[in-house]
Amino acid sequence: MIKNTLQKIYLGLIFILLYAPIITLVVLSFNNSKTRAKWGGFTGKWYVALFQNEQIMNALYTTLIIALLSALIATLIGTAAAIGIQAMRKRVRTAMMAVTNIPMLNADIVTGISLMLLFIAFRFSLGFATILMAHITFNIPYVILSVMPKLKQTNRRTYEAALDLGASPIYAFFKVVFPDILPGVFSGFLLAFTMSLDDFVITHFTKGPGVDTLSTKIYSEVRKGIKPEMYALSTLLFVSVLILLILVNVSPSSKEGSTRKYVSKKSKAARFVFRRLVPAVMAIVIIAGGFFYGSKRSVSGDNQVIVYNWGEYLDPEVITIFEEETGISVVYEEYETNEIMYPKVQSGAIAYDVVCPSDYMIQRMIENDLLAEINFDHIPNIKNIGTQYMEQSRQFDAENKYSVPYCWGTVGILYNKKMVEEPIDSWSVLWDETYKDNILMQDSVRDAFAVALKYLGYSLNSTDLDELEAAKALLIEQKPLVQAYVIDQVRDKMIGNEAAIGVIYSGEAIYTQLENPDLEYVIPKEGSNVWIDSWVIPKNAKHKENAEAFINFLCRPDIAKMNFDYITYSTPNIEARKLIEDPAIRNSTIAFPDASELERCETFQFLGDENDVLYNELWREIKSK
Amino acid sequence: MKSKKLLAGPYLFWSVSFIIIPLLMIFYYGLTDQDGAFTFANLAKITTPENLKALGLALLLSLISTLICLVMAYPLAMILASMNVNQTSFIVLIFILPMWMNFLLRTLAWQTLLEKNGVINSILSFFHLPQLAIINTPYAIILGMVYNFLPFMVLPIYNVLVKIDKDVINAARDLGANNRQTFFKIILPLTVPGIISGITMVFVPALTTFVISDLLGGSKILLIGNVIEQEFKQGSNWHVGSGLSLVLMIFIILSMALIAKYDKDGEGTAF
Repeated sequence: MIKNTLQKIYLGLIFILLYAPIITLVVLSFNNSKTRAKWGGFTGKWYVALFQNEQIMNALYTTLIIALLSALIATLIGTAAAIGIQAMRKRVRTAMMAVTNIPMLNADIVTGISLMLLFIAFRFSLGFATILMAHITFNIPYVILSVMPKLKQTNRRTYEAALDLGASPIYAFFKVVFPDILPGVFSGFLLAFTMSLDDFVITHFTKGPGVDTLSTKIYSEVRKGIKPEMYALSTLLFVSVLILLILVNVSPSSKEGSTRKYVSKKSKAARFVFRRLVPAVMAIVIIAGGFFYGSKRSVSGDNQVIVYNWGEYLDPEVITIFEEETGISVVYEEYETNEIMYPKVQSGAIAYDVVCPSDYMIQRMIENDLLAEINFDHIPNIKNIGTQYMEQSRQFDAENKYSVPYCWGTVGILYNKKMVEEPIDSWSVLWDETYKDNILMQDSVRDAFAVALKYLGYSLNSTDLDELEAAKALLIEQKPLVQAYVIDQVRDKMIGNEAAIGVIYSGEAIYTQLENPDLEYVIPKEGSNVWIDSWVIPKNAKHKENAEAFINFLCRPDIAKMNFDYITYSTPNIEARKLIEDPAIRNSTIAFPDASELERCETFQFLGDENDVLYNELWREIKSK
Repeated sequence: MKSKKLLAGPYLFWSVSFIIIPLLMIFYYGLTDQDGAFTFANLAKITTPENLKALGLALLLSLISTLICLVMAYPLAMILASMNVNQTSFIVLIFILPMWMNFLLRTLAWQTLLEKNGVINSILSFFHLPQLAIINTPYAIILGMVYNFLPFMVLPIYNVLVKIDKDVINAARDLGANNRQTFFKIILPLTVPGIISGITMVFVPALTTFVISDLLGGSKILLIGNVIEQEFKQGSNWHVGSGLSLVLMIFIILSMALIAKYDKDGEGTAF
């Protein structure tokens, strides 16, 4: 009796461990506040918003169709393979099984990378098809390993008896062998489906532009904070599977109602559910999704523009308006850092039409001859961009030939007035022992080094080894005080009072202040980084005129204003600034700092490939200390 | 019988194209430099102090998580195996069910749970208990690994446990073995294939993860998976990345050898 209770308690604890995060996600899906750091009251609005969010619905559809197709194809190939392997001599069989084990045992990261290398070497353009092939590859072993044990249990004599009685091999197979291995085939299919659904790493390496599964969509949202619609979607998926399982298991006549432990006799109810209901539900979802997807894609064709932009760096509404006004369909893809974007453009595996890199990266792309000259005759709205920003752009684009400024800002310190005593005006606070574990540092090489170099009084474009070593030593000294290295998660963490001080981009600072009035932003007196992100057109762009139309559209004052409201990063569009309703924001010193403050700030420059490697190495030394 | 073998043909083609050739590509990239000349320099990169530390830490954390998983999973599998079949099938499915909630979201949810002002700490402070400060430390990473990979330890052990012939156990008891003896002399040795399979299925993904350390370690803690991911996605030096992947493959080959030795018939599969 005691043993029984103990067992129950133990099971209960394990279930709490397994399901605590899931309950958290379900709760978050009803959170009225957009950031996960704050509980803003109960709401069901995300469930409504979900079905209007085209990107998420597209990702869901891609995920489901890839899972279904890859599981189906893997089941076909895998089942046939299992039968074939079973018939082989023992030595060959062992070799085949060893190969089968490779994708199961190999690290996801290695499998993903190896497939990516293959696709790029053979000039497959990365996209839907490559993800599908990758998923089939890692799904087949699950099917083989599910079918093999069932095959071993089948009695070969019955098959031979069927042949003796005059059945053709195919007829005998489907009448005698197949019913016996069917449970294995089915559980293999279901496993493959689940694995494909849950995969992130392999998709991460094999996907192309404009194609996102839920996993990769979530990963790109991690830096900016997950959209609450995503929680709502996960909850819906989870609940529907749960209901399905309960239906199968609770039905009284089902004695062996499971997908995995089949015994030959299965109840009719379970059979009905698994053979008819599950496929029916899946089919409905896929077909409905297909219509949904098709209706969205019907306008497309060749008249498109492939945009590659920072995550959360454009109001989705703007794209809709652009598509309606011009009839050009937009394929939209996001990246998290300049360094992730660069190799993708450089490799030429994907022909982007318009990209939005930062200053120093534009310089690098120009130097490596990756950019096309923009035809400014097609961009009359360039007149709205302030001349000072065009002047500033000359630092990296000497003749203003390749880039059109989109957003700009500074890097500074965001601090919580309730948690910090004295007002902050210097980088030195990032080395203050009193704020141990309360500091959020930028997780990117140049930004982190800029802080240390500026604090030491050097240029943030330093290539002097002694200066860099000094900066490295300083950053290593700082590491024990740092709570976490983050990029855009600074935002959520500062809003949620998780830390007292964070290094942040000015655009994010404006948003955080709206959510949490205790926060204050400052550009330290030692100076900082002032940056510009600009639109450029890669040389291998296939739709250059559409790209120029897109850039021109974004320079329209009303559109630039929409984007400013959405992303809160400073706009170089003077006419757009005049349209901002709230005078506090229109004249905000965070969004539009005085020229005197900017004098102390520098723009990043591209320092050459060798110095890039040097910076990266020093940074890794810091991170692994 | 001949025609049956032909059924493996498509798979043979597929596995050569998408398993063997890609692996050879990694070898090619790992053993050449950017001009295509043969070199061992990429492999040697593993010996730099930073990379060695990342590898060492990854080994340590994944070993600890594997051990915790084993200790937690074995009793669990025994409890599951001792239940009647109908209930068990449901419970086993419960382990697969969380996978329908995205892996990244599940791991992110731990952030919300573990943060300084997170759910767990709010509950603890409500009861005036000391605060839990493990977010952004290696402990949080271990928790994330155990959480994500526990099912891969439970299922193989469970699968071999239910296959044990009850008569064998009864025979042992008839011959006078007590509970302890039955467990150590009969049950444990018979479940070795499942244990080995579980260990590799937890150890390898834990060793190579970069997502869990990223999300729960605050990017402060660099594991070998993070180093490789950065070489590909940020540093854009694919040759070094491939070289380091080759080093990782040593551990994977070791796992395969272990399985081949202890689990000849493939009984200990998770699924």
